[in-house]
Amino acid sequence: MGIRKTLAISSAKVINKLCILFGKQGVTLSGKIAQKICPNILSDLSSQVKKGIYVTCGTNGKTTTNNMLNSFLIDEGFKTICNSTGSNMLNGVIAAFVLNAKISGKIDCDYAVIEIDEASTLRVFPYFKPDYMILTNLFRDQLDRYGEIDLTMDILIRALDMCPDCTLIANADDVLSASLAKKSNHKFLTFGIKNNYKDNQQSTTEIREGAFCQFCGSRLEYDFYHFSQLGSYHCPNCGYLRPDIDFDVSNINLKNGLKFTIQSKDESFDITSNYRGFYNIYNILAAYAAAKAEGHKLTGINKILSDFKPENGRMESFKINGCNVLLNLAKNPAGFNQNISAVMEDDSPKDLVVVINDNAQDGRDISWLWDVDFERFSGANVENIIVSGTRAYDMELRFKYSDIESKAIIDVESAISELLTGHTNNLYVLVNYTALYNTRRWLKSKED
Amino acid sequence: MNITIGHLYPDLLNLYGDRGNIRCLTKRLEWRGIESNVIEYKLNDKVDFNECDIFLLGGGSDREQKLVCKELFKIKKDFKKYVEDMGVVIAICGGYQLLGSYYKMNDEKVEGLELVDLYTEQKEGRLIGNITIKSDLFNTPITGFENHGGRTYIGKDVQALGKVIKGFGNDGESGYEGVSYKNVIGTYLHGPLLPKNPEVSDYLLTKALSRKYGKDITLDPLDDMKEIRANEYSQKLV
Repeated sequence: MGIRKTLAISSAKVINKLCILFGKQGVTLSGKIAQKICPNILSDLSSQVKKGIYVTCGTNGKTTTNNMLNSFLIDEGFKTICNSTGSNMLNGVIAAFVLNAKISGKIDCDYAVIEIDEASTLRVFPYFKPDYMILTNLFRDQLDRYGEIDLTMDILIRALDMCPDCTLIANADDVLSASLAKKSNHKFLTFGIKNNYKDNQQSTTEIREGAFCQFCGSRLEYDFYHFSQLGSYHCPNCGYLRPDIDFDVSNINLKNGLKFTIQSKDESFDITSNYRGFYNIYNILAAYAAAKAEGHKLTGINKILSDFKPENGRMESFKINGCNVLLNLAKNPAGFNQNISAVMEDDSPKDLVVVINDNAQDGRDISWLWDVDFERFSGANVENIIVSGTRAYDMELRFKYSDIESKAIIDVESAISELLTGHTNNLYVLVNYTALYNTRRWLKSKED
Repeated sequence: MNITIGHLYPDLLNLYGDRGNIRCLTKRLEWRGIESNVIEYKLNDKVDFNECDIFLLGGGSDREQKLVCKELFKIKKDFKKYVEDMGVVIAICGGYQLLGSYYKMNDEKVEGLELVDLYTEQKEGRLIGNITIKSDLFNTPITGFENHGGRTYIGKDVQALGKVIKGFGNDGESGYEGVSYKNVIGTYLHGPLLPKNPEVSDYLLTKALSRKYGKDITLDPLDDMKEIRANEYSQKLV
């Protein structure tokens, strides 16, 4: 066992180094090799975590929330392990541990902070039982890969059955997350935004999941929506309603970054951040609630949130030949609608590139484009739109049927180049998953 | 001229961009100066079959389909009359399955609308991927995406919508896809179906207008360059 473990860890480290050297993403491969050599490596290493294991699940906001929680805990002086690159299937999780281990097979870690793809929870939990699971939200996502939300919910319930002592930290405003927390019979804490926030740049025609009660099948009644199906709901038939909110938000200000107050049982905490987009309130709130669940003070988090510079293609900005380029990932209708809202928070003239790929990791089925409210761009002061990626022609049609002009250029670099100079110098690039890595690398290489 | 489109239970059956089909129909009418009106029927709403010229029945998850199923029972008789009277229906994926006599899942049997002679049985493994079919009704191949666990078997006396060129189709074995009966089209193709297949859209609109106004109506041609380009691109996808 000892030798195998050493061999597994050293091989993984070498492979990861080699991949980085050749400009490839090597995390998944390192994890895979490590487990091949030493099948029990994840159980072994994770059992050495001293204080607790957090996992983050949910359709949108996993990486942002998880990395934020990780930085909060580091700021509190803890040593952590985190799969911060977003490699969130079994091999990515293994790699996070293995690449942090000493050759001797020891890890020095207070908290593990791990995001997990919902479908992968069943493959990861045999190796460790988390102490906390953050559930950000549940939206429709890549139906050909994951199936309908009903299936994802079933998987999460089965995964939670494997770890009865795990405390859930669930989004109360999302009826699917909150219902799941209740159905699972686990201890749970909730976060949410109790009152309606009226200045919200939100769509009113969005596709909303979970219109019907998960317990009795009746149509739910909503007092208001924050966005998508997130809001205040109750069931007129069986009486199920949004649970009490343990971590609530008030005093929201969306101008020049996000500012708001988090109210919990015995304290009120003012947040000042450099994040943009209403949806990021939920991400900050979830990370805050998760750290508070362990009783941490979090006095230093405003500095972290204000100094925050997006680096992973989530609202990341680049300056190229004097043009401000903002890159943002969106891979499903809820995410895309939130991106459109964030773009609309900027009312100055702008140009737009939308990149849609249909590789395996994006989902081969692009019908979801029609569940996004692209019509809203017609009131967003957008001057030129280029659609790009392998499914540019489908995206072009999507705009055509919204009465919005767009031009298709399948090659992403050519598409972006065309709008970099001689236009508004304010360019938004919205990409789905597999377009992110190369687009980001290319933008980085062009930076002033 | 004007057309009223009835969208049946969009808050339950809306899985694969189905509202794109509605948008496609209304835009193609608008671009020709024809008015349109869309009625979204929710559960428990009374459906008036004299009110609509086209009905769209989309796809939902198994759980949602079961919720709808109870409701369908109430409109079954009127719906049948509408179909026999050459009413236009486009039914996709889950909606297609509901046209038939039943959908048998594992140990449960969901009763269908019995509008068309077909039935569906769930089998091991889902049929997922890009699909292209050739229908005798249209010059251009129809292209889209399919994702279904149910295998649909159509009766001897009803026509399939087309032959599978690439993909699985009704049951993954027969080589046929969808169904065409009177003015009803049922198909597993989403993507959504209509934007990339303008001939299908215009077929539905022509049938509906001709029925409504009691004469043969020919639609003005539109510039479908972008539609055809997306169609041709999609046909090449594996």
